[in-house]
Amino acid sequence: MSSEEYANTNSYKLSSLAVTKRHGYKVSVRNLNSWFGSKQALKDINFDVKENTVTALIGPSGCGKTTLIRCLNRMNEMTSSATVKGSVYLDDIDIYANNVDPVIIKRRMGMVFQKPNPFPTMSIYDNVAAGLKLNGIRDKALIREIVEESLKGAVLWDEVKDELGKPGLSLSGGQQQRLCIARALAMQPEVLLMDEPTSALDPIASAKIEELMNELRKELTVIIVTHNMQQAARVSNHTAFMYLGELVEYGPTKQIFENPQKELTERYISGKFG
Amino acid sequence: MTRLLDLGIDRIRNIIMDMAKLSEKSVTTAIESYEKGASTKKVIFEWSEQLRVLQDEVGDLAIELIARYQPVATDLRFIRSCMEIAYGFSRFGRYAYDIVDVLETMGSIANCDKSAVLEMSCTVREMIRISVQALQSKDKNAAEKLYQMDDTVDALYRKYLREAITPYEKADKGSFDPRCYISALLILRYLERISDHACYIGDSVHYIITGMSSPRR
Repeated sequence: MSSEEYANTNSYKLSSLAVTKRHGYKVSVRNLNSWFGSKQALKDINFDVKENTVTALIGPSGCGKTTLIRCLNRMNEMTSSATVKGSVYLDDIDIYANNVDPVIIKRRMGMVFQKPNPFPTMSIYDNVAAGLKLNGIRDKALIREIVEESLKGAVLWDEVKDELGKPGLSLSGGQQQRLCIARALAMQPEVLLMDEPTSALDPIASAKIEELMNELRKELTVIIVTHNMQQAARVSNHTAFMYLGELVEYGPTKQIFENPQKELTERYISGKFG
Repeated sequence: MTRLLDLGIDRIRNIIMDMAKLSEKSVTTAIESYEKGASTKKVIFEWSEQLRVLQDEVGDLAIELIARYQPVATDLRFIRSCMEIAYGFSRFGRYAYDIVDVLETMGSIANCDKSAVLEMSCTVREMIRISVQALQSKDKNAAEKLYQMDDTVDALYRKYLREAITPYEKADKGSFDPRCYISALLILRYLERISDHACYIGDSVHYIITGMSSPRR
């Protein structure tokens, strides 16, 4: 079974649910509200994300960026006090519908976190292969093929191909983050969610991740949370500015950074508050 | 607390306003020289050089601010536009010099009919005033008015061009003084170009305020 065949197996896709895009968008958020206990973190969020684009979520600390990105693949459910109301569509599927398995959603919408978090006891190879094995893939040739493809996809292969047995933690911070991206890519996601993926990296390692985002965009849809507005301006096609749990402005990145329509956006991106 | 970027933006704004005053003074002085026959080539050359130096200063400062602070939105539009506006003011200075250079080259034109140049210069000087005022008061609507005045200037220029040829064809060749026509046509051409640059300054102000190109652009 080739990796392509593997990706097309029913166990990997959302079973019989049709994969059609909602009005041509890969991800659509409708009237999304979120709470932690009684504190409301997201207020009536609505936006659409086109396929094969990079979308940046920006805003001051505590505005709800991370909560929003975690809601996009039901990761927020892992926080016990979190509740959600509203809809998130992946293609035409409401990921919060009762008949949708959150595990499958997380496969289709991979996530990379702020701090590189390779599995500490595993080798580079096993870090990438772990998800596949957990999902019942036993074919070693297939796993090897996907590991190589994923490491190449994360632009890490050339740097680690001769030392795949070394611990993941032996890599530099930037390499570890790309290893985590490779681990996410191994699950062949359609959407990659990145929560401040370069905030712990030096400028050179950050630049590599940014270049990688541009490459990944050709194959999948990327949504990134970033505190670095210049990074948002560099890497994204669309930018969403959030403030106090609300989506204040969403539009093409050129427009947001050259001619924002809302005074609040202008003030934030110009460094006048936040 | 003042943003560091604001210090640089204030500095650019001050240079631009200095350029506005100097360029307006250069054009006014050049036109008065044409009208009264005064010799001002040296001083206008110095002003023109000052304007060129200030234009370079604006360009250098703009690049530095972009590199250091990565300005966005209104800040970015202002800095980008200041480079264009500085170029416009620098051109005013250069055309003022070109006008007085024509006077020096042609010799005495005291007896020439100067009405065409003086008529157009009134409109052009008003356009310079409006463009500077638009910059000071952030008037996004000035561009439209400037373009209307530019239409008038263009029409006058074409009219004088035609009229300048006609008397030559009919005139007694012995009494025809080519210095009058050549100097008038050259100066009319410079005034017409100043008029265009006044419009571009109006465009830049419109862009700074709205983020959009002016409707005529």
